[in-house]
Amino acid sequence: MFEELLEDIAQKNGLREVNTYLKLMAGLGAILLCLLSTSYLPPLFIAALLTGAILVLARVDALTYAKLFILPIWFACMSVAGIVLITGGSEIFWQWDLLPTFSLSVTRESINKGAFVFCRIIGGMSALCFISLTTPMTDIFIALRQCRIPDAVLDLMMIIYRTIFILMDHVIQIYHAQVMRLGYSGYRESIQSFASLCGAAFIASWDAGDDLIRAMDARCYNGKFALLGESRPVECIPGLTVMIFLALSATVVTISGNLTLF
Amino acid sequence: MSSIILEARDIRYRYPRGMEAIRGISFHIRKKEKIALVGPNGAGKSTLLMMFNGMIRPDSGLMLFDNQPVRYDTASLRILRKRVGFVLQNPDRQIIAPTVYQDVAFGPTNLGYSEQEVKDTVTQALKHVGLEGFERRPPHQLSGGEKKRAAIAGVLAMDPDMLVFDEPTSGLDPSGSEDIMELLDELNHEGKTIIISTHDVELAYPWADRAILMLGGKILQEDIPEVAFGNPESVRMAHLSLPTLLELHMELQKRGFLISGKKPRTVLDMMHCIETLFEKTGNQTKYGTITVCNVDLANGGLLSAWLTTCRNLSIGAMGTRAKLRAEYMQIRLDFTYGVIDKCILKALLGEDSLILTTESMVRRVYQRVDAYGKESGIIIPVQPFETMPGTVNSKSGDSS
Repeated sequence: MFEELLEDIAQKNGLREVNTYLKLMAGLGAILLCLLSTSYLPPLFIAALLTGAILVLARVDALTYAKLFILPIWFACMSVAGIVLITGGSEIFWQWDLLPTFSLSVTRESINKGAFVFCRIIGGMSALCFISLTTPMTDIFIALRQCRIPDAVLDLMMIIYRTIFILMDHVIQIYHAQVMRLGYSGYRESIQSFASLCGAAFIASWDAGDDLIRAMDARCYNGKFALLGESRPVECIPGLTVMIFLALSATVVTISGNLTLF
Repeated sequence: MSSIILEARDIRYRYPRGMEAIRGISFHIRKKEKIALVGPNGAGKSTLLMMFNGMIRPDSGLMLFDNQPVRYDTASLRILRKRVGFVLQNPDRQIIAPTVYQDVAFGPTNLGYSEQEVKDTVTQALKHVGLEGFERRPPHQLSGGEKKRAAIAGVLAMDPDMLVFDEPTSGLDPSGSEDIMELLDELNHEGKTIIISTHDVELAYPWADRAILMLGGKILQEDIPEVAFGNPESVRMAHLSLPTLLELHMELQKRGFLISGKKPRTVLDMMHCIETLFEKTGNQTKYGTITVCNVDLANGGLLSAWLTTCRNLSIGAMGTRAKLRAEYMQIRLDFTYGVIDKCILKALLGEDSLILTTESMVRRVYQRVDAYGKESGIIIPVQPFETMPGTVNSKSGDSS
């Protein structure tokens, strides 16, 4: 079901030791530039560079990375199809008057817009993947605390993070137990099994909450969560690389201007 | 006998809308004792353990810690919980934080230590359980044994006087269980009182100073393990099994072999019994030498060099640090648990052995060998690694 989690990849990736802020800057900067861009080209450029970084520098398995894109691309295709059909324009290639007041059409403008949105999604997605595949949550917590996120929010985040894995283990065990007893052999069984899986997961999380309080009490909980370790220093080469990447992308954004597909 | 650290006087407890879990229990535990609480599922072991650090308040009766009645206001409970460390059965339930470092630092932070102090205690605790270098790892990536160690480190970081373990070896493989039991021994040797609950008779029998058999919320028997586990009737009632060594001893007695001395706790004791029985102290006239090497002092190069000159040398490591060092030096270990006894057994066969250990445990090797010598009249030579010239050892190595 969840054989390899993103978090596990992030813990072992080749860029693990690079300063968290640099990685976040590269990722968030890339997302920002994708949004600022008015042409379809810069997001593709950013996606290509980041994909290269993920595959070569962070040494993430290419197949795993490709699989990450399956779901968002599906989603992107559906929304792009909608945009292409609904957006109007002057140069009409194909039109179908569905209702007296509403028609579906494919125009030059709609195709350009569709391509633009699609590329943006790819660009943003690769930036997001870059962050999640190179920066483990535990490092992000450190950065968040340094950014003065309120302790209560952060403590809650950390406990949720920790509990997700416990709950997930539990859910996987129940799921396997159900599969072994043919719980998902038919449509009817699947629905029943899934419902009981949800119920069991709810009860398990309730129990885990009780246990958590007990475990914290037993260790003198006094409203304080442990301080976080320090982050790695900003090194010269990674710092420069990020700067060059952002500068290069910004240049592409400026140069490409309003360039369209056709 | 040292003073009493924990005492219960006729305590009773009933779960809300449930059956009575504890039905009038009185006992006491002395400082630096190793206590095994054994009994079937539902005997009330876990409930009783939870009373030790005030997680559960008895309905009636009195709990005393350090001769003071346990008080249940927040401030007193904090002090109690700092002094009584509790390790839950399931480490997943105990580990709270997203990284090992943060989890171990949880207790010290809440006790108000300064940042540097927290860091030092965490480093120390992780070193103690052999998890150096695991600081940034998230707990869900650790193996069962490592999780258990992380949980123990989290409790150790608060420097408690007494450690309570609920089923410390459940879910671990045999070698992992032995490692944990050895860690408990090490902690006990450093002066901590240790209480475990377990079903594993074989593990508890040689380990504990005293065993408490529980059944149905009451204490069935409380005595030294030879006696507590030596009564087949109470063992049967408590849904346990007799330790193999004790059973063997009993069967030998039933068959008319008169075995003198105390009941055997270890294979070594058993060998001694059997040898006395046949009035034969082995056909060995020359005993092997046990060399004790303190890994904190020993020169690694010298040790490696010496090891290459020895053949037929059995090597055992005692203590987490010694094991790590052995792993680091790529020394193949023959024994990792019950090391001293196994080395004595080897010595009785005329074979030499080496014990890698740390400062605090060196003395224990001498004590154990001396105790064995007094009992059996066999003097086994023990020598520290540091003081011995290489030639002597290579010679004795050849002779075996």
